Amino acid sequence: MIKKFLSFQWKEFTRSSAFQKGIAIKILLAFAALYFGGCALVLGSLLFFILEKSIPNVDPIILVNNFIIFWFLLDLVIRYFMQQMPVMNIKPLMIIPIKKKKIIHFLLGKTTISFFNIIPLFIFVPFSIVLLVKGYSVLNVIAWFISIVAITQALNFLNILVNKNNTVFWITLALLATFGALEYFDIYKVSEFFGTLFNGLYNHPYFIIIPIALAAFFYYLNFDYLNKRFYLDGAISKKVKEVETSDLSWLDRFGKLATFLKNDVRMISRNARPKQVLMMSALFLFYGLIFFTQDIYRDMPAMLAFASLFITAGFLFSFGQLVPSWDSEYYKMMMSQNISYRQYLESKWYLMVLAVLVSFILSTPYIYFGWDIFGMIAAGALFNIGINSFVTLFGGALNRVPIQLNEKAKAFSNTQGFNPTQLLIGLPKLLLPVLVLYIPYLFFGLTTGIICLGAFGIMGLLFRNYFLTQIEKVYQKGKYKTIAAFGEKK
Amino acid sequence: MIAIDNISKTYGGTTVLKIDNLEIPKGQSFGLVGNNGAGKTTLFSLLLDLIQPTTGHISSNGIKVHESEAWKPFTSSFIDESFLIGYLTPEEYFYFIGELRGQSKAAVDTLLAGFEDFFHGEILNQKKYLRDLSKGNQKKAGIVASFIGNPEVIILDEPFANLDPTTQIRLKGIIKKLAEDQQVTVLVSSHDLMHVTEVSDRIVVLNKGEVVKDIVKSEQTLKELEAFFAGNEE
Repeated sequence: MIKKFLSFQWKEFTRSSAFQKGIAIKILLAFAALYFGGCALVLGSLLFFILEKSIPNVDPIILVNNFIIFWFLLDLVIRYFMQQMPVMNIKPLMIIPIKKKKIIHFLLGKTTISFFNIIPLFIFVPFSIVLLVKGYSVLNVIAWFISIVAITQALNFLNILVNKNNTVFWITLALLATFGALEYFDIYKVSEFFGTLFNGLYNHPYFIIIPIALAAFFYYLNFDYLNKRFYLDGAISKKVKEVETSDLSWLDRFGKLATFLKNDVRMISRNARPKQVLMMSALFLFYGLIFFTQDIYRDMPAMLAFASLFITAGFLFSFGQLVPSWDSEYYKMMMSQNISYRQYLESKWYLMVLAVLVSFILSTPYIYFGWDIFGMIAAGALFNIGINSFVTLFGGALNRVPIQLNEKAKAFSNTQGFNPTQLLIGLPKLLLPVLVLYIPYLFFGLTTGIICLGAFGIMGLLFRNYFLTQIEKVYQKGKYKTIAAFGEKK
Repeated sequence: MIAIDNISKTYGGTTVLKIDNLEIPKGQSFGLVGNNGAGKTTLFSLLLDLIQPTTGHISSNGIKVHESEAWKPFTSSFIDESFLIGYLTPEEYFYFIGELRGQSKAAVDTLLAGFEDFFHGEILNQKKYLRDLSKGNQKKAGIVASFIGNPEVIILDEPFANLDPTTQIRLKGIIKKLAEDQQVTVLVSSHDLMHVTEVSDRIVVLNKGEVVKDIVKSEQTLKELEAFFAGNEE
């Protein structure tokens, strides 16, 4: 029976439309997987030596144990974002004489080999090997390694249990932030407390029983949960959420476009996928911290321009590149209703501009790093509004991948809304502004560069109507193709 | 009102629709029947400019639909669930369509009040999103949405499918009433011969993409259609 299930899974995978997409995407995905796998492998093999060198007086294994709690918390947060719940089409299996328990075991077993459980192996296997080579006790290292794997699996099952629950996610995130802050500001050494626990795990191999019991316990909880709800109206039924209505009349000031803006706001707030994109784009706000905090970048205005641009572009890039896919579920209606393409595009443009403005306001704390930095962010925002918004909309015309709004994007098994054309269109969005700032900087200094960047944005705004007309033409031309592509079932 | 001129649609060598000439006068209640794959939905999609004709053109009120967007203000339709916005509540959806068609909230409310019977208490004030409604209830919402904004052309693809018997009977009443209005042209397709003969003035039978029958409704129409689909008539 298991063999049959496996073959179903294989067919589901190879016959999914994501897999049957162009060879280019497959190669890209393979590269991405290799890259991340490679990074993890390198990190795993070098971790010991890096730690040994940078903090010479402490045993690397103790250091790792001290800070591993952060790894696990982060793991949980990322899982919440990316890990898809185990779904198998169990409806047709329910009336067939197969033991219910068998199906559930298979379903849960399947999740143990997810991407998120494999990646840690890429780090901890080489790390453990290095430990063994360095002459650490074989028993301790192996027991420790198994414990780590068990905890990873425990997190896996925990995530399946609590994934629907936002509160748990925020608590985890808050814990991570609090622990990080306590540690960073020397208020309380979180690492010492958890270090004791994990070092204990290492020093006393028989404690291995605890993480294994933990994983087994969470597995059992999941099993029990599914077993009790193995009915059409149980676990496999769609959750019907009570509606959340909010007053959006403040958007009415945008006149005719308000209709669309209201709709977009509702689309974002009520669907899993756009929510995910929104949270991701909030992360872009912190992009500057990487560059502005380090002195080596101070004399590299190209890198700084890059960072400044990104700070206000999060939503623009991540949401904008999927216009018009966001409306793919009801595109036929949009095309036959009393809407002109121009209005539709204009409302999307306003939404992106609004997002850039909001990000800009939120970025004011960057003044801390100096007015020149903030000036650069302001110029970057202008450029995003005046140029990048149009480039993004234009790129959307070439994007014909339907999106299922209420499903989260999966890591690596889902290429919804991704294609190589997007990548090509994406390049000028990043390179052009860097050039616009860098070339004047070389000749006239940074201030001129910043002014040039801003001036480009203002110029783009002046040509707004021209740009929108051109973009509308491209959309009109691709209309039938887009409708047909969006009509295909995932 | 609607003039179909030499239209055809070909997918990779297979012609799925070929109609030389078909005129639908204003105010007519037009019924379209045919087996699966006969080209009913293709014809409606061409009418709404959702697919590109291989040859020929369709004019609505003198406007060629694939050249201008000016037919949109007086045309409304419900083809399938992809005409609904799943994350809206029915009310929000009706107001959205209302705003697109220049109708105030109050006007939409007045219209909806007339469909209370048809909704049977399952659509309004349910605190549910459209995507969480049953297929039949989604259909009810979609059909009523197509009546918003005084359209002159209403296109409904298989409106009777998935509806419960009570709703089917009510829908027939609604369509008949619309058909009485000489300003509104209603186009309905169906697999149910009885329903479609009841609500239409004229019935066109499509078979493998071609018009094989074009009859003005009379007492014999239902018998004639049944005979045709039973294969007794050749």
